[in-house]
Amino acid sequence: MTNTSTWQHVGDSGGADQRHPQTTAFTAVPVRQSFAAHAAVNPPHPTNNQSASMAATTEPKKKIDWPESVRSYVQRSFLPANMISEVKRDEMEAKLKETISKANDTGVMYTINWETMELPQQMIQNERKQALALQQIVGQYPLASQQFAQSFAPPAIPAWQPSVPVAKSSRKRKSSDLDEKKLPSPIPPWRSGQAGQSLANRTTFADQEAAPKHSAKSQKEKRQKYDGGYKSTYRIPSPPPNDGPVKGTCENLEKRYLRLTAAPKPELVRPERILRQTLELLKRKWKQDQNYSYICDQFKSMRQDLTVQAIKNDFTVEVYEIHARIALEKGDLGEYNQCQTQLKALYQLGLKGKKIEFKAYRILYFIHTANRSALNDALADLTPTEKKERAIKHALDVRSALALGNYHRFFRLYNDTPNMGAYLLDKFVRRERLAALCNISKAYKPSVPLRFIAEELYFESDVEAAQFVLDLNGESLLEERQDTIVFLSGKAGQLFEGPKKEAFSKVDIKGQI
Amino acid sequence: MDALCAEFAGARADENGYDLARTLSPDFPNDTLRAIWQSCNAHDVKSVVKRELSKNVTGMQRLSHQELAGWVEVYHAYWKAVGELLAVQSSWTKVFGAWTELLTALLRGYNAHGFEAWTIPCLYVTGKYLRTFAIKADDERNSGSLTDNKAAANFQDDFNPESEQNATLEDCARQLNKIFNICLNDRAPLDLSRKWGIYYVTNLLFKTYFKFNSASLSKNVLKALSVGRGDMPDLAAFPKSQQVTFKYYEGVLCFLEENYVEAEKYLTEAWNNCYKGHMKNKELILTYLIPCHLLTTHTLPSQKLLEPYPGLQKLFGPLAQSIKRGKLHAFDLALQDSEDEFVKRRIYLTLERGRDIALRNLLRKVFIAGGFEEPKEGDGGKPVRRTRIPIAEFTAAISLGSQETLDDDEVECLLANMIYKGLMKGYIARDRGIVVLSKTGAFPGTGL
Repeated sequence: MTNTSTWQHVGDSGGADQRHPQTTAFTAVPVRQSFAAHAAVNPPHPTNNQSASMAATTEPKKKIDWPESVRSYVQRSFLPANMISEVKRDEMEAKLKETISKANDTGVMYTINWETMELPQQMIQNERKQALALQQIVGQYPLASQQFAQSFAPPAIPAWQPSVPVAKSSRKRKSSDLDEKKLPSPIPPWRSGQAGQSLANRTTFADQEAAPKHSAKSQKEKRQKYDGGYKSTYRIPSPPPNDGPVKGTCENLEKRYLRLTAAPKPELVRPERILRQTLELLKRKWKQDQNYSYICDQFKSMRQDLTVQAIKNDFTVEVYEIHARIALEKGDLGEYNQCQTQLKALYQLGLKGKKIEFKAYRILYFIHTANRSALNDALADLTPTEKKERAIKHALDVRSALALGNYHRFFRLYNDTPNMGAYLLDKFVRRERLAALCNISKAYKPSVPLRFIAEELYFESDVEAAQFVLDLNGESLLEERQDTIVFLSGKAGQLFEGPKKEAFSKVDIKGQI
Repeated sequence: MDALCAEFAGARADENGYDLARTLSPDFPNDTLRAIWQSCNAHDVKSVVKRELSKNVTGMQRLSHQELAGWVEVYHAYWKAVGELLAVQSSWTKVFGAWTELLTALLRGYNAHGFEAWTIPCLYVTGKYLRTFAIKADDERNSGSLTDNKAAANFQDDFNPESEQNATLEDCARQLNKIFNICLNDRAPLDLSRKWGIYYVTNLLFKTYFKFNSASLSKNVLKALSVGRGDMPDLAAFPKSQQVTFKYYEGVLCFLEENYVEAEKYLTEAWNNCYKGHMKNKELILTYLIPCHLLTTHTLPSQKLLEPYPGLQKLFGPLAQSIKRGKLHAFDLALQDSEDEFVKRRIYLTLERGRDIALRNLLRKVFIAGGFEEPKEGDGGKPVRRTRIPIAEFTAAISLGSQETLDDDEVECLLANMIYKGLMKGYIARDRGIVVLSKTGAFPGTGL
């Protein structure tokens, strides 16, 4: 029984949420009256009382007589110095009219001290503040459901632990190394489909494990039907812009990504407590299915929900970090770059995350895109302590090795890349091999062993090195002597210059000297 | 207000745009501003301006009805902006807003009220202060609590951190762009054209873009300029200060794109034309011109050149010394010591390449230390330098010079780079472990 009442409450607060835009916009009078009536039977929101009493008082009109003090009050209201930019003029005028006619109606026109009376724009501002406070109070109500949700959701686990030593067999880590040991036992395949469905469809889920939720939902449905009827006229479809971020009310875990073209509707936006469950779900799904297009789509909608609700906290960081890693692994650099841009700003806000790891990626990424000004910014963003951190130091060493054409050092560093940086290095290793081959071809005469090429340019084997040369039409440069193959560097001429130029021009690198 | 209108009349009689622009400056003592503010109120400001302008501007100069209406709007907007400036509780964002309205009124004046071209300094002044106010507004907002930022509604998938930080300045750039266009697209004959305002506003735009870290946007401006250049007055006909500033930005833009040859050209022009007393400007030009010279012609600034600029001396002095003497370790230290400063000025990545020159100088020393070949018979007596140098000798020199232990392979890699970049002539014979240097000009451009 207690449970039921809690859920009732959630339903109520949802209602308050929908009413909220009207509180701030002050449009049609009938709205406020219904609000007032509603608020009167709903004492938990004390802030409503003021507007309730305001709207409740309606008496027959008397002939209006304007005393001097009121006139100067009106004049003061419109002094440019007193204007508040957030309050529009027509809102002000409406409020002014309301205030004065109320004073007139209640017969206090001559008794009010107009000198000290709040100006209409200040009233509106204060009311907005109160409405915002109310919104925050309302936002806290779903707490009960959150606790409830957490009781069946897997416990929050750190998604990523770069400090865990990498298995020697693989150079790179996978984003799906989402700490198998720490994950609660993975959902057995025979349940996974069902779990996904039931999570996507709350009714089913509620039927199984959460009866109270069901009642809340059905109540909401009822109200929607009700609202969809004759009352629909006073439902504002979406909150007016610049009224602050939306508060989501959507309870679905999964949501397809759609680019917003208008203000988001709260019923389609998931609040943070839902998004937290979504993240857990997506982590599991990624491990199981490795379906990138699905995962990317889901992450984008998560990011959108976070953004429209202006949620910027450690959880936000986690979402972006995980998406960034998955995008890296799949070579989706566009998506990765979007994430890293956000992460940079989020770290600057002082939020916790794997700052070192991602700052290092950032440097490597800009090496790849040969974006010098961004690279410069990335350098400016480092503190002396950070420069000594292994991942960042590695990235910086890669950068300086390439800047000075030190391919020898570069390929040694390539072999020893922390975290998932190798996915980024992979993107430009061919280009750097070409550059190195150009160098060698011009500097060494008459020849070098193929082994030397393979070692310097870090090919897995001589065969791979030979294949690299062959793919560039360099078959005449490979010669078998006794038991070794040599690379006739002295005869290469300009052979590799064209491909090198092409490889570098794709990312637009100019003025190499 | 009547004083302002009297000044307006005076400026108009002389057709002196700069005098006129002074009447729209916010840069007066507070008392003056307050006097302007208190000379009218919200109800009568327009009629006061109208009356005063009609009273002061008489005879031949009489304003047409249309133009008068335009100026009334301008001074009305100015009066409101002054009010914001004076208001104790006002924020810079509001000042910026009011100032934008002033600019809008002015632009409307050119579009709809027939303002003449000689009045363009008004645009200069409004544009200049619009930028100042925008920067202050951004600073004010950024230093405030973060909750202010959160209030803005956002329909994007991700929030845009850059624009949140520089929102006002970006808005300012859009406003300045309007000035740019109103100058660029004037089709009146040249001597009556607003095109004469183009370089002032271009420079202002550059300055704004650089400030919010979007120097690349300047390229659009340059593109628009080069398209319209055909029917534009020659840059040389504009005030020197505008020429120098324009060349400076053009040079820095090339520099940032690593087009050092072009950059050197523009910066040299700016350097040659810069007023000799403007130490700050000259210092700025040198900050980019010195790295250009280092990369294009491998030349270093002399002591004498740096002498008047203690800042530059500190920045480039140690670096230049280490390059000259081929001291790799000293070079690394010098680069590291001023790293933050170099990064801030965006010259770090360029200067870093100076290490090649330092290395070249070190290798050259090895070559010289190698001495001469045994004179052969019939050689004509002219000594020939030893051109076959064991890799090990270079390894020793580089390891000593950089205070790092390098293996032969890495040294070979560095040598290969020298050869590839044309800083050293010769080839590596790996099987014999030697470098064979050219008998003539082993180190081009160094007299060896």
